[in-house]
Amino acid sequence: MTDNPTPHPLEIRSATAIPASAIASARGLVKTYGRGDTAVQALAAVDVDFTRGELTAIMGPSGSGKSTLLHCMAGLDTITSGTVTIDGEDVGRMNQRQLTKLRRTRLGFIFQAFNLVPTLTAAENITLPLDIARRPVDRAHFDQVVAAVGLESRLHHRPSELSGGQQQRVACARALVAKPAVIFADEPTGNLDSRAATELLGFLRRSVDDLGQSVVMVTHDPRTATYAHRVLFLADGGLVGELVNPTQASVLEVLGSLDAAPTADNGNADNDADDSAMLLPVRV
Amino acid sequence: MRRVALRGIRAHLVRFVLSVLAVALGVAFVAGTFSLRTMMSSTFSGIVDSTLLGDAYVRGAEPALGRSMTGTTGETRNTVPAGLADRIATVRGVDQAFAEISGPIVLVGKDGTAVQSTQSPSFGVALYPDDATVTIASGRAPNGPTEIGLESATLTSSGLSVGDRTQVVVAGEIRTVQITGKISMGTALAGATIVYLDVATATAIYAPDGMVSTIAVYAHPDVTETSLVANLAPVLSRDQTAVAEALTGDAMRAEARTDIEAQLGFVQAFMLVFAGISLFVGAFIISNTFSMLVRQRTREFALLRAVGASPTQVFASILTQAAVVGLLGSALGIAGGLGLVSLLRIGFDQVGMDLSGSIPLDAPTVIVSLLVGTVVAVVAAALPARRAALTAPVEAMRETTATERSLLVRTIVGGVLTTLGAAGLVVALLAPDSDGSALVGVGAGLLALGTLLLAPFLVRHCLGVLAAVFVAAVRPLGRLARANVARNPRRTANTASALMVGMALVGAASVLAASATVSTRAIVDDGWTSDFSIRSTTGVPVGAVADIRALDTVGAMDVLAYGPTVVVGPGERAGTQDASFAVGIPAEAFGRTIDLDVVEGSLDTLANGAVAVKAATAKERGWSLGDTVTFASRAGAVSASARVGAIIDSNLVSVPIVMSDRLLAQVVPPGQVTIEFLLVNAAPDVTAATLRADLVKAVGPYVVLSVSDKGDFADDLAGQVNQILVILYALLGLSIIIAILGIVNTLALSVIERTREIGLMRAVGLGRLQLAGIITIESVLTALFGTVVGIVLGVAVAAVMPTVFNGVGLTTLAIPWAQLAGMLVLAVVVGVLAALWPASRAARLPVLDAVASD
Repeated sequence: MTDNPTPHPLEIRSATAIPASAIASARGLVKTYGRGDTAVQALAAVDVDFTRGELTAIMGPSGSGKSTLLHCMAGLDTITSGTVTIDGEDVGRMNQRQLTKLRRTRLGFIFQAFNLVPTLTAAENITLPLDIARRPVDRAHFDQVVAAVGLESRLHHRPSELSGGQQQRVACARALVAKPAVIFADEPTGNLDSRAATELLGFLRRSVDDLGQSVVMVTHDPRTATYAHRVLFLADGGLVGELVNPTQASVLEVLGSLDAAPTADNGNADNDADDSAMLLPVRV
Repeated sequence: MRRVALRGIRAHLVRFVLSVLAVALGVAFVAGTFSLRTMMSSTFSGIVDSTLLGDAYVRGAEPALGRSMTGTTGETRNTVPAGLADRIATVRGVDQAFAEISGPIVLVGKDGTAVQSTQSPSFGVALYPDDATVTIASGRAPNGPTEIGLESATLTSSGLSVGDRTQVVVAGEIRTVQITGKISMGTALAGATIVYLDVATATAIYAPDGMVSTIAVYAHPDVTETSLVANLAPVLSRDQTAVAEALTGDAMRAEARTDIEAQLGFVQAFMLVFAGISLFVGAFIISNTFSMLVRQRTREFALLRAVGASPTQVFASILTQAAVVGLLGSALGIAGGLGLVSLLRIGFDQVGMDLSGSIPLDAPTVIVSLLVGTVVAVVAAALPARRAALTAPVEAMRETTATERSLLVRTIVGGVLTTLGAAGLVVALLAPDSDGSALVGVGAGLLALGTLLLAPFLVRHCLGVLAAVFVAAVRPLGRLARANVARNPRRTANTASALMVGMALVGAASVLAASATVSTRAIVDDGWTSDFSIRSTTGVPVGAVADIRALDTVGAMDVLAYGPTVVVGPGERAGTQDASFAVGIPAEAFGRTIDLDVVEGSLDTLANGAVAVKAATAKERGWSLGDTVTFASRAGAVSASARVGAIIDSNLVSVPIVMSDRLLAQVVPPGQVTIEFLLVNAAPDVTAATLRADLVKAVGPYVVLSVSDKGDFADDLAGQVNQILVILYALLGLSIIIAILGIVNTLALSVIERTREIGLMRAVGLGRLQLAGIITIESVLTALFGTVVGIVLGVAVAAVMPTVFNGVGLTTLAIPWAQLAGMLVLAVVVGVLAALWPASRAARLPVLDAVASD
């Protein structure tokens, strides 16, 4: 799996030193699930840098390891070898307590669904990370964020009283309100209709452009990827391409070339096996 | 569908563990109660069979003094001459006939204290040399007043051996005796202390007038019991010296067993109440488990429905699971019940009460236990199963489901029941003429039921008060925990119900106990004016009275004695009244050693032969001051008559009639007078401490006498009250264990249910300890909620009782605040304990589960 042919139109930067512009980086990141005969390599020595103040999208076919990459970068999953650095801190060496503190103070999360605590109001959900960290809420910033996502009138509603789009916007606001170093978003628009998705993506992009936030987002939707400054392509646990200022056409073209690549064809059965194998550790 | 049901259990085995445990605990209590009852029954019938070996018995033909006071010790009959035995022995078919001569005795053991185990009796028995029913295991039969034989178990528990010298207290005096033999009856005697005396000695002590209660008759080998009785009857009816009847040995044994069974039945009913409570609470756990499971698996049921399963099939599949849970739990419970009884038997053994035989496990016990456990489980699961069955197939396609059902109906019904119950209590409180106990009973029942129904409403609207402390103290965990607890009020209320029921009972019991103690103290303070009292549970020996009177340091001493008599009031016919007790007090005692509150008349009249009657009795029998009452035997022979000279209202004296000691001697036969108290005042210039030292020294040899002042006496009574409480607490400990199980169950299931939410919170920075903190606070809040509601309920009901039951000595309401506070602390401990496992489980959940469990 490690000897993937590089897709033709694109060059991968071979990075050894971490550039100053990177907010989050990985070097030789390996993630293996299982042991011995049943071992499955989800990430194969990935080197990657996510640039500060950019919206970066990660794309790739099912089982390519894009979600695993996000989880490892965010300290949600342990890494097998390599290093992960976020804003200068070595995430890979952190223990649970340090990871908790990192998530609490330096990272923001937006998931595809189940983003909110059902017993808390929208406002309480937004300030949850600050409350947990017992940090005071910066009212001006809070108001700015809430206004930006257009939730002023819904602050005292419970998640069950909000639409899917509104729920994701609350999640966005929650990720932003603690002023994290980087926000990780896993298929943030996966459950939304196209209008709600457009709203949310526009808002994410503005948070990068206007507030200087750094965002890393996993998606399988080419249209979503066009909101990113840069798109990274993953296949079979390795970084296989990169697009800057993507358009829907260019994204589709790269994706198409990935599907057509011989490893992808040959590995169809493998891919299925990978799928289930990669799901296993999650289910256990 | 059955396969689906069974697979479901296998897949979710962990979730059923606590349900199975809950059923097992409840069933263990049921099975334990039944087999304990069987074991005790067989022990006591063993005693009956081996002590009542006669083929026929001759006893008095008429009740001597009406029915006995308690109604549980059988009838008291007239006595028959012991000499009748000799005449009976000559009747055709009779082999031997022995007059049964026995009575109370105190045996001093090797350690210098009385040989006595728990509440078992201690008696001396005449040993006939040719009695074939007892065997002399070692040594020889006692001969003469200074020798005794001991039953083998008694010998063991006394620590003495054959040949030793010891003391017995009998016939009011201390005797030094030698143990000449170990005598075996060949059966377990459940702790009774038995001392054998020779016939002459026993007769002198227990039958000085030559009268005995029964004569045991043994037949020749080929004579049946019935024909023996037929032979005896004409002899007895011709006999002019005795009013006697004969009955078969079987009839006598059956009578004895009936009495025992009635008492055991009471114990069994008492224990089954607790078994009921634990099963009731267990049902909540099961219901909770299935509710949560059904909620979680809505999509699965919808899918089953979509592929063609009928609602009935879904319903049946869940009930099948419940039945399996119930059967498993019942089987475990039966094993647990046997274990409990084995432990109990070891415990009884330790206190010297040997019970016979193996632990019985009969088919009815097994069947009843299995049925009870299974039915409880199935019934508890029925409502959730119904909800599952009504799942629409379209739910399979929906994202989220199950909106909380309205609490309106439940709240209204609960509110109505609670109001009715409270009204019942208020009426009992305000209307003294109403049937207080019935009103309190019904009121308390309705109140409890109503509160259980209202509980979810209370969770939703009153939990905030309890939670305020946590919300303020542990930010933001308290707020998160409160929200979680209030999220599903029905579930929280059901979970808390175990503690609610248990704590209500404990709360009520401790208020009653405190009130009883305070009331007793008040009564004693009020009426007791002597420096010391001397008493024993079996009556004060006459010898001790003389010994104490002889002390220099004693200034004044009054003897309080009581005995049974039949009192006939004006307009009442002799022969229709039950025997009642009368107490004799020397006239000079009033104001000196004892004070009684007089409602009407004067206690001075007692010196002139009048009697004082308790107000309640006077009211009940319609007697008033100046009426003449007569004292009679059942046959109608008048022994004395007296004027009612005073109506008294005192809880110090528990018997209805007070008279002078002289009058008591007239109306009660000498053998039936028991000295209950000696009231002693110090001589002038003698300190209490000096007097106490002298008294203690004087009563020492009598072993069973205790010297107490007012404070000691009240403490003793309080101690007795507490002893009863300890038993109650032990049983309620069970409900607390089940409560812990219930909370663990609910928390563990809700952690599973909330996996994604927990992961989310961990992802946004919630630490493991913080997570464990939230779950612990949830647990403590649930426990506190149940406890507070339970205490309020229990205290409210108990608070009514002193007013309603004023007449039986419960005069003052006392609320044991410290104890109630202790219960709250206990609730917190219960909460923390219950949270340990679910909290650590939740803390160990990988964060990724939330993010990726899609």
